[in-house]
Amino acid sequence: MPAAAEILTEDQRDCYQELTNVAMGQAADRLARLLNAYVVLPIPKISVIENSDLNMALQGATGDSSVSAVCQGFIGAGISGEAMLMFNDASFASLASLMKYEGPLTQEAELELLMDTASVLIGACIHGIGDQLEIVFNQGHPVVLGQHCDLKDLVAYGNNGWDKALAIEIHYTIEHVNIDCELLLLFTEESVKTLNKKVDYLLD
Amino acid sequence: MSLNVLICDDSSFARKQMARALPKEWEVTVHFAGDGLEGVEAIRDGKGDVVFLDLTMPNMDGYGVLETIRRDDLPAMVIVVSGDIQPDAQERVKNLGAMAFIKKPIDAEKARAVLTEYGIMTGV
Amino acid sequence: MAANSDGINDIHWLMDILQNIDVGLVVLDRNYDVQLWNAFMEGHSGLSPQRAKGENLFSLFPDIDESWFRQKAEPVFQLKTRTFTIWEQRPYLFHFRNSRPITGRSEFMYQNTSIIPLESVNRQADHICVIIYDVTDTAVGKLDVSRANETLSQIQTRDSLTGLLNKSSWLPVLEDYFQSQQPGCLLLMDMDHFRDLNHSIGHQQCDELLRRIGQGLKSLSADNYAARFGGEIFSVILDNHDAASSMELAEKLRRSVLNLGRNSQHDISASIGVAERSDQNGSAMEWLSNADKALYHAKESGRNRTSLFKN
Repeated sequence: MPAAAEILTEDQRDCYQELTNVAMGQAADRLARLLNAYVVLPIPKISVIENSDLNMALQGATGDSSVSAVCQGFIGAGISGEAMLMFNDASFASLASLMKYEGPLTQEAELELLMDTASVLIGACIHGIGDQLEIVFNQGHPVVLGQHCDLKDLVAYGNNGWDKALAIEIHYTIEHVNIDCELLLLFTEESVKTLNKKVDYLLD
Repeated sequence: MSLNVLICDDSSFARKQMARALPKEWEVTVHFAGDGLEGVEAIRDGKGDVVFLDLTMPNMDGYGVLETIRRDDLPAMVIVVSGDIQPDAQERVKNLGAMAFIKKPIDAEKARAVLTEYGIMTGV
Repeated sequence: MAANSDGINDIHWLMDILQNIDVGLVVLDRNYDVQLWNAFMEGHSGLSPQRAKGENLFSLFPDIDESWFRQKAEPVFQLKTRTFTIWEQRPYLFHFRNSRPITGRSEFMYQNTSIIPLESVNRQADHICVIIYDVTDTAVGKLDVSRANETLSQIQTRDSLTGLLNKSSWLPVLEDYFQSQQPGCLLLMDMDHFRDLNHSIGHQQCDELLRRIGQGLKSLSADNYAARFGGEIFSVILDNHDAASSMELAEKLRRSVLNLGRNSQHDISASIGVAERSDQNGSAMEWLSNADKALYHAKESGRNRTSLFKN
C-alpha cells in the first residue's frame, strides 16, 4: 500500500491493530452486557484512505443494503477524529428484541436503538484506544447522518479539509442473530502525526 | 533444561509486549508464532510447554489452536491472552482446556500473578 | 499563602463560570435527587437551586419519561460511559418554553443532552452530570429544510391537482408491475371534447372535475397504480383483474363520469381503452400502446364508450 506507507510504517500499522483489538474487545464486552448476547470479534482493518475513497470504503463495509448511521467527533491532546457507526437496516428487528424494546419498530424507535448502541460502542472504543495511549478523548455530540439511506447519499465527499486519513474499521456481528454493524474511526493526517509519536513511544 | 514458552499472536507489537511482561528472573526459552497454524506447528516441535495464546488471529484462531491441542492431546499449558473480555469468551476457552485467561493489555503484574497462581513458575 | 489563595480563586472562578455558562448543568445522585442546579436551569425552569436541591428529578418534573431517562442514565452509573441524547430522538428532556419573543421560532426549547459519570474517591460513579444544550435554532432550521424537501419531492412525483402520481413517476411503477409477471389490465381514460368543456364551464370547474375524477380513480386500485398521465388523460393498473372484470370496472367508471355531467348539467363524458397483459407483450411499453390503441378505437367509434384491445 503506497498511500499507507507515506503516513504509517508496518510496525505502526500493526500497533494500531493491536490497540484497536483491545479497545474493541472492551466495547464488545459492554455491548454484550447490554444485549445479553455474544459479540463476535473480527480482526480490525487498519488502512490509509484518500478523501475520495471514503465512500468506497464505506460501500465495501456494508454492501448495497440500506443503512442508518450516527457520527460522533472526538478530540484530545491535539488529536481529533470522528467515529461513525453504521447499521444495516435489516439489523433493527433483532436489535429491538435483544434490547427488549417494546412497541412498534417506528423510525423513532430505530433511532433510539441506534443511539443507545452508538453510545456504548463508540464511547468504549475511543476511550479504550485513548487509555492505552494515555490520551483523554472528549466526545462531541452525536449526529444522525441518516436513516434508511443509500450509502452514497450518506456522506457528501469533497472539500472538507483532508486528503488522507487513517481508517480503522471494525465489523461487529452478534452470534446467532442477524445484527450487522460497522464502526469506522477516522483520524486525519495531522492527527496521525501526533498519534504516531505516541505509538512509537509504545513500540520503543 | 529450561522451559519452552511460546507466544502466539498475529501482532508483532503484542508479541513484544507479552515477551516484555514475562518475569525477568524466569529462565525460559521464548518462541514466537504469528498465527494459529504456526502456533500448532511450534507446539508439535516441542516449543510450547507454556503457551500464551491470542484469540483473534488469521488462518487459525485461538479457539482452533485449543481444539487441536485437545484433539491431538498435545502437551501444552495454555494461557489465553485476549482483548475479547466477554464473560462468554473466557468460559469458552476454559471449556476448551485453557488453564487461565489474561485480559489484554498484558503487563508484568498480571503475568506474574497468573504464573504464580497456577504454579507454572516455581521457586521465585 | 499565595498558592492556597490561588486555589481558592480558581474554585470561585469555576463556580462563577458554571453559574453563568449558557448550558444547563444538573448533578444527580444515585436516587436521581438533584445535587446541583445551575443558573441556566433556574432561569428556564423558574426553580431556584435552593428549592431544587435534594428533590427528586421525577417529582420535580413529572412530564419527564422516567423509564426512558433511566435507560439512558443507568449505563452511565454502571459502566461509567457517557451517553448522549439528541433532539431527533426526543425534542427535549426538560420542557422549557421559548424564552426569546423576537428571535425564538419554536414554542419550546429543543435540547441535546450529554450524561457524564462523576467519580467519587472510591472510583465509583455515584453521581452523574446532565448537560443540557439549547439546540432550538439548529433543530428548527433542519426541520424547515426537511419539510421543504418533502414538499419538493411531492411536487416532483405527484400531480398537485389530483394528488395522483404523474406520468414520469408512474411509468417505473408500470415497468415493475410488468416485470413482476402478475396478471392484470391497463386502463387509459381520456375526457371527451375537453377543450370545449373548458370553454363552456371554465378552467376552475374543469379543475374541480379532474380532481373529483382523480379521487374516484384512487378507489379503483392501490394508491400508486393510478396516475394523471397528462392533461385530461388518466391511467390505472388494475392489478389481478382479467379482461371481463376490468371491462366491468371501466364501464362503471365511464357511467360515473357521465353522472358527474348530469349533476352539473353539462355534457361530460370519457372514452376508455383497456388492454389485458398477455404473454405476447414484449414490454411494458407494448402493453401501454395496446391500451392506447383500444382508447383510440373507443374515440373512433363515437366516444363515450369503453373498448377492449383485441389482437
